Amino acid sequence: MLRRAIGRYGLTLTFIFGAAVFPVWADEGAAPEAKKAGDKDKGVVSVELGKEVYIKRCLGCHGAEGAGDGPAALRFKPVPRDFTKGLFKYKSTPHGSVPTDEDLIKVVTNGLPGTGMPAWKSIMKENQIRSVVQYIKTFAPQFKDAAPKPITIGPEVKSSPESIEKGKALFKELACFMCHGEEGRGNGPLAPSLKDNLGRHVQPRNLTKGWIFRGGGARENIYMRVNTGLMGTPMPSFADKLDNEKSWHIANYVNSLSQYPGVPDWNVAVMAKPIEGDVADDPDDPRWNDLERHSFPLVGQVTIDPRMFTPTVDMVTVKAMYNEKDIALLVIWDDPTKSVATPAAGETVPEVFDDAIAVQFPTKLLPGTQKPYFIMGDINNSVYVARWNGRTNAVDEFNANGTEVRVGLRITPQAEVNWQFKGKGTYKQGQYKAVFKRPLVTEDKETDLQIQPGIFYPIAFTAWDGSNGERDAMRSLSAWYSLYLEVPASNDRFIYPTLFLLVVVGVEWWIARSYRNGNGNGKQK
Amino acid sequence: MEKIKKKGMPPGLRVALSLALFYLFLRFIVQPPLPFSVIFMYMAMALAGAIMYLTLFFDIKEVIVNPIYTFLGGGVEGGVAKGGRYALLVAMPLVVWFGSYQKFNKEIQPPLDPRVIHPAPPVEFTGLYNPFNVEDKETLRKSVADGKEIYYKNCIFCHGDLLDGDGIYAHGFNPRPANFQDPGVLPMLQESFLFWRISTGGISLPQESTPWSSAMPKWEDMLTDEERWKVILFLSDYTGFVPRSWE
Repeated sequence: MLRRAIGRYGLTLTFIFGAAVFPVWADEGAAPEAKKAGDKDKGVVSVELGKEVYIKRCLGCHGAEGAGDGPAALRFKPVPRDFTKGLFKYKSTPHGSVPTDEDLIKVVTNGLPGTGMPAWKSIMKENQIRSVVQYIKTFAPQFKDAAPKPITIGPEVKSSPESIEKGKALFKELACFMCHGEEGRGNGPLAPSLKDNLGRHVQPRNLTKGWIFRGGGARENIYMRVNTGLMGTPMPSFADKLDNEKSWHIANYVNSLSQYPGVPDWNVAVMAKPIEGDVADDPDDPRWNDLERHSFPLVGQVTIDPRMFTPTVDMVTVKAMYNEKDIALLVIWDDPTKSVATPAAGETVPEVFDDAIAVQFPTKLLPGTQKPYFIMGDINNSVYVARWNGRTNAVDEFNANGTEVRVGLRITPQAEVNWQFKGKGTYKQGQYKAVFKRPLVTEDKETDLQIQPGIFYPIAFTAWDGSNGERDAMRSLSAWYSLYLEVPASNDRFIYPTLFLLVVVGVEWWIARSYRNGNGNGKQK
Repeated sequence: MEKIKKKGMPPGLRVALSLALFYLFLRFIVQPPLPFSVIFMYMAMALAGAIMYLTLFFDIKEVIVNPIYTFLGGGVEGGVAKGGRYALLVAMPLVVWFGSYQKFNKEIQPPLDPRVIHPAPPVEFTGLYNPFNVEDKETLRKSVADGKEIYYKNCIFCHGDLLDGDGIYAHGFNPRPANFQDPGVLPMLQESFLFWRISTGGISLPQESTPWSSAMPKWEDMLTDEERWKVILFLSDYTGFVPRSWE
C-alpha cells in the first residue's frame, strides 16, 4: 500500500518538499520595508504618514523645511528642489501652474535620470509615495485650492525624415539654438549666462544625450517639455507658438539628435583595428568615420581631496587604429565651452582653467590582473599619463605614483624630449576631438608602456573642464578599462569543430553498421 | 510494452516532463530569481528522486532503454520513427559543429578580475565595537542624525540616496559601490570590518583583493573616528539591518 502510494506520489512529494524550503531564499531578497511596514499604514494615504516618510527619506537633500537645503544639497548639480517656491520642472500642466498629484507621484516613483533623485519605488510602498506627495504640497502655498489641468498630447506624428527636417527648421525659427547650440550640445551663445530663479547658473541640456533628460528622453516627454517649459529656469513654454503637429516635429528632431537610442551601451574595452599605411594624426581624417566607437562613463573624482562633485564631462567616446609602427586614439567628449586659463591677477586663483583630457596606462604591464590604483597609481605601481591640453593643442607626459592627502600627488613629469604621444585636437559646436598618436614601442622602457597587438592593456580616461573650475585632482575620471590591438582570429575555430563533426559522423556510421549487422535488436541482451 | 501503454503516458516521458516543469518553475516562477547554484542543487535532488522512483517501481530496461532502442533500431518500422531517426542522424553532427564553433569563436574579452570581496581585516581593526551604539535612546538618536548628515554630504554620490549602491557615480566604478540594502552585506559583516573599510578605503585593500579599483576613499584622511562610527549607526538605522556583532 505504502509502496504503491510512494510509487504514485513520491516524485510529487520530492518537489513539494523542495518547494517548502523556498521561502528561506525568497525572504532574503524581500525589501526590508516590506517586512517592517505595520498594518496601521497599510494602504493609508495621509499627510502624517507623508511627514514621517519625508523626515526619513527626503530631508537629507530637500531639507527639514522643504527649501532644498539638506546636508547633501550643495554638492549636487542640479540642486535638490526647493518645495517652498511651488516651482516644479517636470510636470504635465501649463507653464505657471502647479503640477498634478500624478506628476509628483511619477517623479518620486521613477526618480529623475542624471540627478541625485532616485526611483523610490524600490523601497517605498505606493501609499508612502502618495502620502509624501501630499506632505510636499504643504510646503508651497500655491497648491492650496489649486486644480491643475494637464496638457493633452494630441495625435502622434510618427518620426520621419520629413518631420525631423521640419523640427530642425522650428529649432532655428524658435531660436532654441541660442541656448542649446546649433548641434544641440548645450553650447549656445547664451548658455554661459543663463540663471535660474535663485540666480544660480543653469546649464542648458545637451540634447545629444537623451538618457540624461531629467523628464525622460522619449518623444512624448520632449513634446511635454516644449509645451510646459521648465519653471524656475530660462526654458520657456512654447505652447502658444506650437500646435500639436509642430510639437511632434520638434520632439522628433530633438529625439533624433541623441547619440544612443536609450542608455549608451557602455564598453569595457577600446578595440584598435589594424590598418594599412600611416595611422591618422588628424581628428578630421575621414578614416575615423568607419571605425567602431567605444564609450565609457566619466564621473566626479570624489575619492581624494580636493574632490569634484559636479564635473561637466560625463563620458568619452574612443576610436582606435594601429599599424606595425604606431597607434592612434581619437578621443571625443562634449564640453559646452572652450576654456583657456585666464592669467591670475596677483595672488587670486583664476576662475577659468585649461580644458584638457588624458589617457592613463600602467607604466608597466603587471603580472596577472594586477593594476596600479586607478586614480594616478599607487606607491608601488606607477601610471603613465598622456595629457592633451586645449590651449597648447599638444600632449605632455608624466608618471604618477599615487595621491595622498598628507603627501600630495607624487608626479614625475617626463622630459619634453621623451614625450612620445603627439596630439592634435579640434573644438567644434560644444565637442572636442583629440588624436593621441604614439609609436607602439618607445625608447623609454622604464617610463612608457610598451604596446603590442593581442594583449589587453589597462586604460583609463580623465577630463578637465576649465570653465567649471576643474584642475589637477578636481576633474572627472573613469575606472580602468582595456585597450586591445586586434589580431586576426585564428583558424582553430573552423578546424576543431570540423574534426568533431567527422568524429560524430564516424560514430553514427559505426552504430548504423552494427545495427544493420545485428538486425537492429542484436545489441539488446 | 503493452503493459506500460495501458497506464497512459510512458513513465520515462512522464518523469522527464515533470523535471522540465520543475526546472521552469524554479527558473521563472520563483521570485526573487534563484541563483543558478541553488537551482542546480534542487535539480540534482529532483533527478535523484526521479531515478529512485523509476528504478524502484519500474523495470529500468522497459521504461528507458527499450524506447531508445525502439527509436534507434527501428522497432517500429517506417513513419514518424524513421523520419525522426534520419533527422537525428543529420542534426547530431551539425549541433556538435555549431556548439564547438561557438566555443572556439569566443568574442575577445578583457581578462576578468577575480578578487576577494571581503578580505580579513588587519589586527588593529578586529574586535572593535561601535562606541556610539549606546542604550540611551536620546543619545543614540542624536548620533544617528549626525551619521545621516555625514552620509548625505559624503557617501551619497556613490552609495545612493536609497543606500542601494546606485548613486549618481556608481555606474562609473568597478567594483560597484556596496549595496547596504542587500541582506548579504550589513548582517554578514562585523562592525570592525565596516570601520576598517571606511577608514582605509580601496587603496588599502590587501593583496588578495587587488586590483585596487575600488573608489572608496580613505576616509580617515577626511573624517574623524567619531564621524565614521556614526555613519555606521546611520546605515543600520536606515536599512534596518544590524552588522554582525563581535563574539
